[in-house]
Amino acid sequence: MMQPQQPYTGQIFHPTQTYTPTTSQPFYGNNFEDEPPLLEELGINFDHIWQKTLTVLHPLKVADGSIMNETDLAGPMVFCLAFGATLLLAGKIQFGYVYGISAIGCLGMFCLLNLMSMTGVSFGCVASVLGYCLLPMILLSSFAVIFSLQGMVGIILTAGIIGWCSFSASKIFISALAMEGQQLLVAYPCALLYGVFALISVF
Amino acid sequence: MATTAAPAGGARNGAGPEWGGFEENIQGGGSAVIDMENMDDTSGSSFEDMGELHQRLREEEVDADAAAAEEEDGEFLGMKGFKGQLSRQVADQMWQAGKRQASRAFSLYANIDILRPYFDVEPAQVRSRLLESMIPIKMVNFPQKIAGELYGPLMLVFTLVAILLHGMKTSDTIIREGTLMGTAIGTCFGYWLGVSSFIYFLAYLCNAQITMLQMLALLGYGLFGHCIVLFITYNIHLHALFYLFWLLLGGLSTLRMVAVLVSRTVGPTQRLLLCGTLAALHMLFLLYLHFAYHKVVEGILDTLEGPNIPPMQRVPRDIPAALPAARLPATVLNATAKAVAVTLQSH
Repeated sequence: MMQPQQPYTGQIFHPTQTYTPTTSQPFYGNNFEDEPPLLEELGINFDHIWQKTLTVLHPLKVADGSIMNETDLAGPMVFCLAFGATLLLAGKIQFGYVYGISAIGCLGMFCLLNLMSMTGVSFGCVASVLGYCLLPMILLSSFAVIFSLQGMVGIILTAGIIGWCSFSASKIFISALAMEGQQLLVAYPCALLYGVFALISVF
Repeated sequence: MATTAAPAGGARNGAGPEWGGFEENIQGGGSAVIDMENMDDTSGSSFEDMGELHQRLREEEVDADAAAAEEEDGEFLGMKGFKGQLSRQVADQMWQAGKRQASRAFSLYANIDILRPYFDVEPAQVRSRLLESMIPIKMVNFPQKIAGELYGPLMLVFTLVAILLHGMKTSDTIIREGTLMGTAIGTCFGYWLGVSSFIYFLAYLCNAQITMLQMLALLGYGLFGHCIVLFITYNIHLHALFYLFWLLLGGLSTLRMVAVLVSRTVGPTQRLLLCGTLAALHMLFLLYLHFAYHKVVEGILDTLEGPNIPPMQRVPRDIPAALPAARLPATVLNATAKAVAVTLQSH
């Protein structure tokens, strides 16, 4: 059954009965008080965003497979803009590169994960996970605003951050797609992608 | 061990899509009868309504069931919004037809599921194959086994792209017509796909027993040596070190590929042609990558400039004004190329 409608109750001859949705789906033409709040209508749920951010920031925390069931692109969008903004603070106007690399990277990971996993994965899910795991890279680029990353300290920090990002991303992908034993195989392409982002931050 | 997913391969046997389409037609997706039961008040923009509806329900329904379910459950709500209902039905049918056509075209042309078996690997397998790619095996009487997978080669090509990018960035290479990323991807993928195809063509001429997939996998794993050499020599700028690694690591991976090809080819002339070509291309590619995408030690500059420049002078050189007039290729390579240009100009 596709749509949660009221079951047919046999009131076929009552012309005044109108169709109303039984769930909280937004409905055009209702009055103002019955409309859901704007954030709910847009699908932005701050609590979920915060949960996912915490999952990324604790690399050793076990990820829940169901957190990526809803495709949320608001958080990743904010993180990409924040990354571009921290690059801007360092004098690099490279929003175009961030956009292009993230689009191509998401496409590549989408194809690869669809080929490697038993169940498929949607593009939104891939984009969402990769976007959330960009958060440590923002730390790297904000560090680059003040200190140059082209010394030994920079190299070690960059390698650590790339490892952190790709470890988190692969952890979430593995738990969401049930691909046990293949975490390294998923982490490596993520590491290459985040390595390109790091290259933008460093040079 | 993972089994290939049967549901995902629905389009593999030829009977699948045709039967599915036939059923959809029967179930009234193209029905001309207006169903009076689904009345409601919305007579607004019905196409967007339909779009939003399908957006929400996409994950829960199967396309074949959707048409049937919509006709079946409904509720008669009176004669209100008759015009809205009519336009909604038309929009619905248009949407369904368009979606069917698009998904049929997509499943026909963009079916990447045929590549699914080649990505079914374990980390231990990839690791062992990487190490084996540097160890030539001298068994030429029986065909040597080639792992027919694409994950390892693809990742190695991407790694080479990343290493090239890193090298170009550290040496401040400027690409005039194009981008760094585009050049790196084009070079690496062009080599992998182009040389694989060329060697496969030669193998066809020389009657060698190798398939295109095996050639792609073989050459892909052969790039492991290149990755190691370039990673080390882009960071440690010693010429002698590069030549040593070029011979050693490049030679080992080339020998491995050559041994495999020899074991699968009959006849000395054919073997010579095939393996000679592959060896030449593989070794020369490494040489090209090192010199084209990274700064060369300034020692070479000194020998080209003559006695006027004091030895071991490490002064960054400006691009001479005569360079554009010489009409060199668009890629401004490195200090050696600039020095060559200056030498040419002075003659």
